[in-house]
Amino acid sequence: MSDELIHIETPFEFSESNRQEVNELIQRYPVKEAAMLPVLHVAQKQAGYITPGVMRHVAELLEVSVMKVKDVVTFYPMFFEEPVGEYVIRVCYTLPCALRDCKLVLDHLKEKLGTDIASETDLAKGTTGDGKFTILKSECLASCDVAPVMMVNDDLYKNLTPEKVDEILGGLT
Amino acid sequence: MALIKLNDLEVEVPDGINVVEAARMHGIEVPHYCYHPGLSSPANCRMCLVEPHVFFPPAGKVVPDRQLATGCTAMIRTAPPDRKLDGKFDYIVQTDSPRVKKAREDILEFLLVHHPLDCPVCDQAGECDLQDFSYRHGHDKSRYVEVKNVPPKKDLGPDVLLYSTRCIVCTRCIRFCDEVAGSGELGLIQRGSHDEIDIPRAHDGTPLQLLDNKLAGNVVDICPVGALISKDFLFKSRPWFMKKVNSVCPGCSVGCNITVEYKEDGVYRLKPRYHADINEHWMCDDGRLGYEYVNSEDRLQIPMKRENEELTATSWEDVLQLMADRLSAAEADSIVVIGSAQGTNEENYLLKKLAHDVLKTDRIGLFGRNVGEEHKFPQFTIESDKNPNTRGARDMLGAFTNGNGTAAAVIEGDKLWESLSDAKVVYLVNGSPERPLTDAERTALENVDFLIVQDIFLSDVAQLADAVLPSTTFTEKDGSFTNSAGWVQRIHKATDPPGEARVDWEIIQQVAKRLAGEFEYHFAGEIAAEIAATVPGYSEATHQQIGDGGVKLRDE
Repeated sequence: MSDELIHIETPFEFSESNRQEVNELIQRYPVKEAAMLPVLHVAQKQAGYITPGVMRHVAELLEVSVMKVKDVVTFYPMFFEEPVGEYVIRVCYTLPCALRDCKLVLDHLKEKLGTDIASETDLAKGTTGDGKFTILKSECLASCDVAPVMMVNDDLYKNLTPEKVDEILGGLT
Repeated sequence: MALIKLNDLEVEVPDGINVVEAARMHGIEVPHYCYHPGLSSPANCRMCLVEPHVFFPPAGKVVPDRQLATGCTAMIRTAPPDRKLDGKFDYIVQTDSPRVKKAREDILEFLLVHHPLDCPVCDQAGECDLQDFSYRHGHDKSRYVEVKNVPPKKDLGPDVLLYSTRCIVCTRCIRFCDEVAGSGELGLIQRGSHDEIDIPRAHDGTPLQLLDNKLAGNVVDICPVGALISKDFLFKSRPWFMKKVNSVCPGCSVGCNITVEYKEDGVYRLKPRYHADINEHWMCDDGRLGYEYVNSEDRLQIPMKRENEELTATSWEDVLQLMADRLSAAEADSIVVIGSAQGTNEENYLLKKLAHDVLKTDRIGLFGRNVGEEHKFPQFTIESDKNPNTRGARDMLGAFTNGNGTAAAVIEGDKLWESLSDAKVVYLVNGSPERPLTDAERTALENVDFLIVQDIFLSDVAQLADAVLPSTTFTEKDGSFTNSAGWVQRIHKATDPPGEARVDWEIIQQVAKRLAGEFEYHFAGEIAAEIAATVPGYSEATHQQIGDGGVKLRDE
């Protein structure tokens, strides 16, 4: 194996305001490594997804190996390693939502946006060509009483029907 | 010490050890994968489940605990007098109860769920814990009928391949890189049943960092299954066809204990062997992969002498006679004998004896590989002296006191080359895998009238020689090395010397005999016995006493 095979990443730096936020986050914990999740969230918000440059920078900042960051990033489905749409739609498909027909919601979304459902390892598959939407299945969103539900970025939408989905999508575009 | 009841045995074990080790001490196997005595215990494989017993007040007696415990984290400690079980035991544990046996079978069935069972083409077959424990503790069938995960094969670094399918995710390799090497290249990606060992990679799979630290090869050794494989050994031999012999790594002055694995046609691999005070369970890749020179086609196989400016092949008879003639013709104080830090104590002792008793010269030098880099890891050090026996060679070449009660000083480094200016005959023993000469060294050696070089390659020094004696590497002879910390340790003969090459001490003895020296040794152990009797500090360094564990030099 030669050195040319090593990935040369684009360097990543936090913006001035994010750097401040990250420094405050790190100080909250007894060890730097403990700030990994919130710091990665800040980084993802800034960069859009977790690039190799982000992993390297966060590793240096928290004084851990790059692999430790990669480990965390691949463990949690809320971190993306490739570009996603401007709006990430997570449709809950665990039991209560399934009983309340979340499949109808998912199928409607797929048809309406003309794309498949993304998998954790292949986000491009579920992202629209214009880079606006990404559809993901999600584990329980803790709103079983108002099933079926989905989240669009940080907002929760309840009691979904195909009509309601149209309305929500209409409000986004 | 704690008194424990281990199955039916009543035994004493040291305070503070775990059940796996306590059982091992008394010949009972508690199968385990994630636990390794040189690493921390995460207790994630669940294979070492045992059944501790506890006092149950309602019943007023000692009963099996409700839950099985992992033997690797179940620590045995001395109990206070009022907490002794059955009046005297500090700990009671069953490693072979029906409940334990059932648990082991079930765990093994789980561990094999995604395992491809590709033993016929697996490098680890024959030395695989998964095979061995399945054979001794497992089920004969699996109830899993669904599709198995097939994660990809991965290239992790210069010498390590990962067959992810075979991996049981015990994380020994990750902990090794974190704790012993301190480099942290390995980790887990994904989660649950999709967990895979990997190096950090970009999303497209190109590595951000390779597993290329100098201790990386150890992860292959500690992998209990065939997941981590050495590229150097891949498909070279089935393990059971190789013979094994205990030895010491000649790569640096640490003197890691190793096992040389070989067949008739050469050395196949080196594996570290446990020594609590020297290398623990580990060795470095410089040593591990540094054996190739032993098998090299370029090894010296026949004696040579210089004729018409050219080195030409000759017979042992001829070259030894030539040497004897030149040595006996020279004035004693114009002869310089140079020993080797690559050579054994026995060779250097005999060389010194030749110089002192037969050649009557006090001019003794020491030669060896150049100083290299030192590498420090959290739990391991590779030393900068790249010779296995610098300390021993100094001790041996500095032996033999003269009339005034002191021994002649051993000349080393630049002083040695300067001292050659008036030398007529020089007998130099090398034996290094590689030892380039500087211009100054070359000039010094070129000025010598008659240069005898005993070597394994036509090295820089051998090329300048007037007589070349083909000798042997560490796998072709018996003897002992003294490491930098003063441990005297044994190397054992594995392979045969190439061609007509001879064992170094035998060559020296032949030279001595031709000069009417009374040398009559039949094996290296005889020389070691003489060393033990005469050289200060070495009184316990007979081959019998050194054994497989080595002996530490005594202050005498």
